[in-house]
Amino acid sequence: MRNVLKWTCLLLLVGTPHAEGHSPPGKPTLTSCRSPEKETFTCWWQPGTDGGLPTTYALYYRKENSDAVYQCPDYVTAGENSCFFNKNDTSIWVNYNITVVATNRLGSTFSDPVDIDVVYIVQPNPPENVSLTIMQDKGWPFLRVAWQPPRKADTRSGWITLIYEIGIRMEHENEWETHVAGQQKLFNIFSLRSGGAYLVQVRCKPDHGFWSEWSSASRIRFPDYFHREKSTWIVITVFCFFIFLIVTWLLHVNSHRSVKHCLLPPVPGPKIKGFDQQLLKNGKSEAIFSALVVSDFPPRSSSNYEDLLVEYLEVYVPEEQQVILEESKELHSSCFKSESSTSDSDSGRGSCDSHTLLIDKGGQSKENEDRPVRTEDQVEAEDWEEEGSDAKEDMGGVDVPSGGRVKTWPSVFTSPSDQQISREHCLSDSMIMITEGVLGPDPSEFSLSATKPAVAQLCKPVKSRSDINISTFVHKPWSVDSDGVRPVTEDTTAFLQPFLLQERDYSKVKRVGADNTLLLQRLADVADVDDCEDQTISTGIDLKTTPVCMDSIMPGQEATSAYVDTAAIFPMPTH
Amino acid sequence: MAHRESNGRKIFITVLYMVAMCRGVPITDLLDRASQHSDKLHSLSTTLTHELDSHFPPLGRMVLPRPSVCHTSSLQTPSDKEQALQVPDADLLSLARSLLQAWVDPLGVLSSSAYSLPHLAQSKLLNKIQELQQQSKSLGDGLNILSGKMDQAAQTIYSLPYRGGNDIGQDRISKLNKFHFLLSCFRRDSHKIDSFLKVLRCRAAKLQPHMC
Repeated sequence: MRNVLKWTCLLLLVGTPHAEGHSPPGKPTLTSCRSPEKETFTCWWQPGTDGGLPTTYALYYRKENSDAVYQCPDYVTAGENSCFFNKNDTSIWVNYNITVVATNRLGSTFSDPVDIDVVYIVQPNPPENVSLTIMQDKGWPFLRVAWQPPRKADTRSGWITLIYEIGIRMEHENEWETHVAGQQKLFNIFSLRSGGAYLVQVRCKPDHGFWSEWSSASRIRFPDYFHREKSTWIVITVFCFFIFLIVTWLLHVNSHRSVKHCLLPPVPGPKIKGFDQQLLKNGKSEAIFSALVVSDFPPRSSSNYEDLLVEYLEVYVPEEQQVILEESKELHSSCFKSESSTSDSDSGRGSCDSHTLLIDKGGQSKENEDRPVRTEDQVEAEDWEEEGSDAKEDMGGVDVPSGGRVKTWPSVFTSPSDQQISREHCLSDSMIMITEGVLGPDPSEFSLSATKPAVAQLCKPVKSRSDINISTFVHKPWSVDSDGVRPVTEDTTAFLQPFLLQERDYSKVKRVGADNTLLLQRLADVADVDDCEDQTISTGIDLKTTPVCMDSIMPGQEATSAYVDTAAIFPMPTH
Repeated sequence: MAHRESNGRKIFITVLYMVAMCRGVPITDLLDRASQHSDKLHSLSTTLTHELDSHFPPLGRMVLPRPSVCHTSSLQTPSDKEQALQVPDADLLSLARSLLQAWVDPLGVLSSSAYSLPHLAQSKLLNKIQELQQQSKSLGDGLNILSGKMDQAAQTIYSLPYRGGNDIGQDRISKLNKFHFLLSCFRRDSHKIDSFLKVLRCRAAKLQPHMC
């Protein structure tokens, strides 16, 4: 009876733990195995549930190509739940098959086996003796970090090759700045902030392994190189100040006028009235010249006249002389095509149309060539100026074998289309001018008044006059070549009608004869005026002809060369 | 990358030959360069192993029994640090050269087998294997030159023939298994070579403590 009770109690006791939750241990797991120097290694495991009972753990390993199972030699050195393999138990380049067994009263549980090779699980200890030093480089401080490899790692023999890495951050920051240092054991850091506090730490890694833990952080305070920074700031400030001054000055200059305008003043363009640059570019010279002519030269209105004239020479002539002057003016005017006259096919060199009634002192018409594109105003002004200068020059030099001072008019009016205009031109301006040289010895006899009213007066037809003796106002001999005497602009030049058959020297215009002839007296016959009548110049002035020894040039000559076609003048309306 | 490797190999060979001619380059530099090459070789093999594992987890492989030992296991190599440090220079170099020579054929087998692998990133594997081959070749050439500067023992190359044949298996699992096994053997041997050369380097650089 008692035995039955005893056994029942025992059974109950045995059965009770099951009812309370005791169980065999849970499955442990090997968490990691690490070797710090490739000579020893340690494995750690994580125990499973213990099943409510005291559980023991055992680690068994088997080497590659061997069936012998060994148990962990050292459970203590590496701490709880670890197994430490010392040098004698460690073989490299050999696979270890490791298993952990958890055992309690109720049973054992094996963990999953793990294959490891010691050379692949190397994780060294952190570097040791990290030292921070402030060094100077030409006055600029920098930080030198030096350390030692972990004690156990044998880098001297080359058994382990370590690569180092430095981490640095400022004290108040969170992020580490890393620098790889390679295999060297010191590292220089530059460009640290003056007066800043830094934390530095180092770690290492074998050539084919895992990174170690960071060493303990060392703190250092960078020295103040404040003065150098301050001087730099001063230089920068002064530089910016100068830049600011320059910018202000530029703005000031720009506000008044453009700097570009100040530095590069614009080049004045040509300002020829009536000159069309587009026509010039097109290359039609005739159009250009016609355009020039179309403009307000000759000046129609009387108001422009004063602008054209530069100088005036008062010439007072007696009535006859005035008539003669008028006649000569008429002659000149008649040279320009009248409505009744036939078309003038003259080339223009000496025609009245061309205004080229002036012969240069040297016999050249240099003005002709170099003034083809000048405006009318400029041409006239320059011509008159030149004439004035020439006249002044010639005041003393009386002897002008070439025939006095005559200037060629620019040959811009040579085109036939100009004839219409030139006619008016002749009428509108007073072109009866006699050079002072020509006037020469007896300037007092008359003074040529090139004023406008006089001109107008002179331009009037003088049919009523007759027998005008113009010899009195022509003292100076001048030669009249085939081109004839060219009219000179305004004041100081005497102009006579161009033309002439023969090259002879004529001293003066004797008178204006009938049949529109102008009687020129030969040089040799100055004293003998009335001797013969060599030539008559057809002037177109209806005057009585007087037999004088003069050459006369028929109006028919006008086709060949310069001529005086006074006949053209009379029918023309007076202005 | 393969192109760069071949270029590097050519440069390495050229330098070494020039050294042999001129005897101008010290042996420490030669060893330094050789150890760099072996380091690169081992890194490549590790990368390849990881890539293979990522595509084919070794779960299935564990069912099958592990294949036999590597074909180079017959070569007696030091198994710990003390043993390794006691081996003379020339012998270490000889071991390195032997190991390297033993893998010329198996790497070719691996290269040809890579086509038949059921692998998604097959071209990547193939490229890496070819890279391995080139790197191994260049290192072998460099070590040949190095051996000329050492004792006669360095000239000894142990024959370690590969008898696995050209075929790595029939079915998918066995193929992968063999492939993985070969790669793991190569990875270990490349690590051995690397370790030996680095030991030699530090031995030769006694006057340059910064290197070791």
